[in-house]
Amino acid sequence: MLGYLWRRLRYLPVSLLLVLFVTFSVLRLTGNPVDIYLDMNRTPEQVEALTQKLHLDQPLIVQFGIYLRDVLKGDFGESLQFGVPALEVVLDRLGNTLELVAVALGLAVILGIAGGAVAALRRDRLADIVISFLAVLGQSMPSFWLGILLIQLFALRLGWLPTSGQGGLSHIVLPALTLAAYLIPNFILITRTGVIETSNEQFVVTARAKGIPPARVMLVHVLPNTLNPILSFLGLQLGKLIGGSIITESIFAWPGIGRLMVSSIFQRDIPVVIAAICIMCVAIVLANLLVDVALSMLDPRIREA
Amino acid sequence: MSVPLKGLLASVAMVWALSAQAETLSIGLASFPESLQPGLSTNVSLNVNRQMMDGLTARDNAGKIVPNLAEKWEVINETTVRFHLREGVKFHDGSAFSAEDVKYTLDHALDPKSGYGMAGRISAITEVKIVDPKTIDIVTAKPFPTLPVALADILIEPKLYAEKVGVDGQRRKPVGTGPFELVRYVPGDRIELKANPNYFAGKPSLDSVTLRSIPEAATRISSLLAGETQIVEEVSVDLVQQVESNSALKVDSVNTSVGLVLTYDVTKPPFDNPRVREALDYAVDKELILKEILKGKGEVLQGQLLTSNTFGNNPAVKARAFDPAKAKKLLAEAGYPNGFSTAISTMSGRYLSDVDIANAVSGMLNDVGIKVSINVMEPGIFLKNLGSPARDLGPVYMIGWYSFGDADFAMTWYTGNNRRTAWSNAEFDKLFLAARSTNDTAARKAAYERMDEILHAENPSMFLFGVPTIYGVSKKLSGFNAPADRVLRLNRAKLN
Repeated sequence: MLGYLWRRLRYLPVSLLLVLFVTFSVLRLTGNPVDIYLDMNRTPEQVEALTQKLHLDQPLIVQFGIYLRDVLKGDFGESLQFGVPALEVVLDRLGNTLELVAVALGLAVILGIAGGAVAALRRDRLADIVISFLAVLGQSMPSFWLGILLIQLFALRLGWLPTSGQGGLSHIVLPALTLAAYLIPNFILITRTGVIETSNEQFVVTARAKGIPPARVMLVHVLPNTLNPILSFLGLQLGKLIGGSIITESIFAWPGIGRLMVSSIFQRDIPVVIAAICIMCVAIVLANLLVDVALSMLDPRIREA
Repeated sequence: MSVPLKGLLASVAMVWALSAQAETLSIGLASFPESLQPGLSTNVSLNVNRQMMDGLTARDNAGKIVPNLAEKWEVINETTVRFHLREGVKFHDGSAFSAEDVKYTLDHALDPKSGYGMAGRISAITEVKIVDPKTIDIVTAKPFPTLPVALADILIEPKLYAEKVGVDGQRRKPVGTGPFELVRYVPGDRIELKANPNYFAGKPSLDSVTLRSIPEAATRISSLLAGETQIVEEVSVDLVQQVESNSALKVDSVNTSVGLVLTYDVTKPPFDNPRVREALDYAVDKELILKEILKGKGEVLQGQLLTSNTFGNNPAVKARAFDPAKAKKLLAEAGYPNGFSTAISTMSGRYLSDVDIANAVSGMLNDVGIKVSINVMEPGIFLKNLGSPARDLGPVYMIGWYSFGDADFAMTWYTGNNRRTAWSNAEFDKLFLAARSTNDTAARKAAYERMDEILHAENPSMFLFGVPTIYGVSKKLSGFNAPADRVLRLNRAKLN
C-alpha cells in the first residue's frame, strides 16, 4: 500500500511547481500591481515601496525564484489587496467550499443512483423517458441560470429557503442542488447503463431464478457491481465540481475559495490566487487518491494491476 | 431522512425568528472588503470602516464636506490649517479622543513604511503640530486647498490602542469613535455591528447592522425582495423595474462624482483633427442613451468633465445638441466625407452599463459613416496599459474619472504631466497649478470654469454621463438616503 501511495504522490511536487509558475507568470505579465493597488493619486514613494516589496524591478524569473523560496518556507506572502497572509485568507474559506462540494456530491450520488436505477428498471417506459429527458435537460442548463431559477422558486415564490449567504442547514440546500445538478445527469446515465448491463449477467439471472425479491436483487447483487464506473467517474469529476463551485459560490454568495479566487484574479492578487490553487490541487489529488483507494478495496483486480 | 428534515425545519424557523427582530438592519453589498484594516485605498473599505470610525471631516450624502471629529477649521496662513477638535468624544474602548490620536493617525498614514493606501491623498502634508489637546495645526509644503476633502478619507485611530495591538490588531478589531462597533467579522460573508451607545452625535436608532456580501446582482435583488435585506447597493439597470414594481420597496438613485468619457488618441489621425472630435460630439444622442439605457438615472455631462455636483462645474457650458447633419458636414470639412473606421476600448461592468453605452455610441457613430468596433478588455490589462507611457488602448478608450466632489481630483488627468491623455494645453496646465496653489475659493472656481471651457472647445474626450449609483431600499426604512460616494450613512436610519 505504501509503495502504491508513493507511486501516486511522487509527481505532486512537479505538478504544483508547474501550476505555480504558469499562474505567477500569467498574472504578473498581464497586470502591474502598482496600477491596480495604488490609489490614482499615488506618490512616487508609494510606487517605490511596492516595487521593492514585490521585486518588480527584477526579471520575471528572478521574481518567481524569490517567491518560490518563500513558498517553500510555507510563506505564500501577504494578500496584496488586504495585507493579510494569503494562506490565512484561503484557509478561512476552504472549509466552506469543502462543505458545499461534499453536500453536492452526496446529493448527486444519492439522486443519481436512485434515478438511474429506476430508469433502468422501467426501461423504455414512461419513468425512464421522463428521467432521461430531465437528465439531458439538467446537463444542458447553465448553472448560473439554474441557480437563479431555484432562487426565484424556492426563496421568492415559495419562501421556503433563504436566497443566499451562509447560516443554518437551509442555506446550503440551493447552492448544493445547483452544483449537484451538474453531476446528477451523468450519474443517472452511468447507473442506468450499468444496471441494465449487470441485470443480464448470469449471477443476477440466477439470483432472480432462486426467487429472491426484486428489491434485494437490486440492492445486494446489481448496484454494488455497478459502483465501479460510478466511483471512477466521481474521481474524474472532482476537479470539474470544484470549478463549478466558482460560479455557484458567486450566485449564492457562499464564502468559499472559488469566489475568492475570481476576485483575486481580477485584482492580480497573486499570493492569494497561488495559495488557493495550491490548496485546490492538493485537495483534488488527495480526493482522487481516496477514490482510487476505495476502488481498489471494492475491486481486488485494480490493486493487483 | 427525518433527521435532516427536522434540522432543515429548525434552521428555517431560526431564520424566521432572527428576521423578526426588527431593529437589525441587513444590507446586501456588491463589493465586500477582505480585511477591516483602515486606510486601504478603496471605497469598499471606506464604506465598512466609516461605520466604526470617524475622520476629522466627513462627506454628506451629496458629497459636501462637513465637520466630523473636527468641529471647525480655519486657514491660519497659506500653508497652515488649524482644526478645532470636538470635545468629550470617546473611542469604543472607552479612551478619550484627543489631538494625540490625530497626530498619530496622520503620521502613521504618511510613513511610507506603513503602506497606507490613502496616503496619496494627503501627501502634501509636511507636519502635524499639536497646539493643545483640542487643537491641531496641519502644515503643508504648498497651499493645499483640498485638504479638508482629502481628510474625509483618513479615519482617526486611537493612538494607545493602535500602538498596543499594532496594525494586525486594528485589522482584526478596528476601534474608532464611529456610530457602530464591530461584533463579528466573517471573511467573505458578513460583518455584524452594534450601535455605539456613546456616539457623539447620539446613539443610532438601529440596535445592530449586518453587512452581507452578495456579489451577484440578481441574488442581491432577490434577497431584498425576500425581505432578508432592507438595503442593497448596485441595482443594475435591467433590475430596476423588478424593485420598482414591488410595493414594499423603492429605488433610490443618486449621481456620483464619476464622469464617464471617451478619450481620443489625439496624436494620430483622424483624432488629431479637432473638427473630427467636435463632429463626433454632435453625432451621439446622449439624452436618448440616458433615457433608454440608463433608464433616466444619472445625468448627461454638460460638455465638460465635471459632474454637476462637483466644485468647479461651469453651469454656462452646455452639451452640444444632437445634430447628425452637422456631424456629417464637419466630417466632410475635415476631409472624411465617407467616414472612417475606429475602435473603442472599454472595461466590462466597471461602470453602470458601460459596454451597453459603448455599443449605443458605436451604433450612432455608424449612422454618420464611422464604423466602430468595441474592444472589451479585462480590467487588469486595461489599467496596466492606461498607466504605461505608451497608453496602448487604441484610438478611443472609455473611462470614468472620479472627482470626489472637487475639480482638482478629476482635472489632473488632463494635465501635461499626467499620461492619461495625449492631449495637452498650456493654458489648462497653468490654470490647474494656479487653482491647486491657492486657498482662495473664488479664484479656484474661476480657474476651473475657464478649464471647463477649454475642454469643451477642444474635445480631448467625448463627455458622456455622470454615472448614477442605484440602491434598492425597503419602504420600512426611514432616515436613509443613497450616498453619492457609496459610503452608507446609517446613524439616523430607522426601521418602522
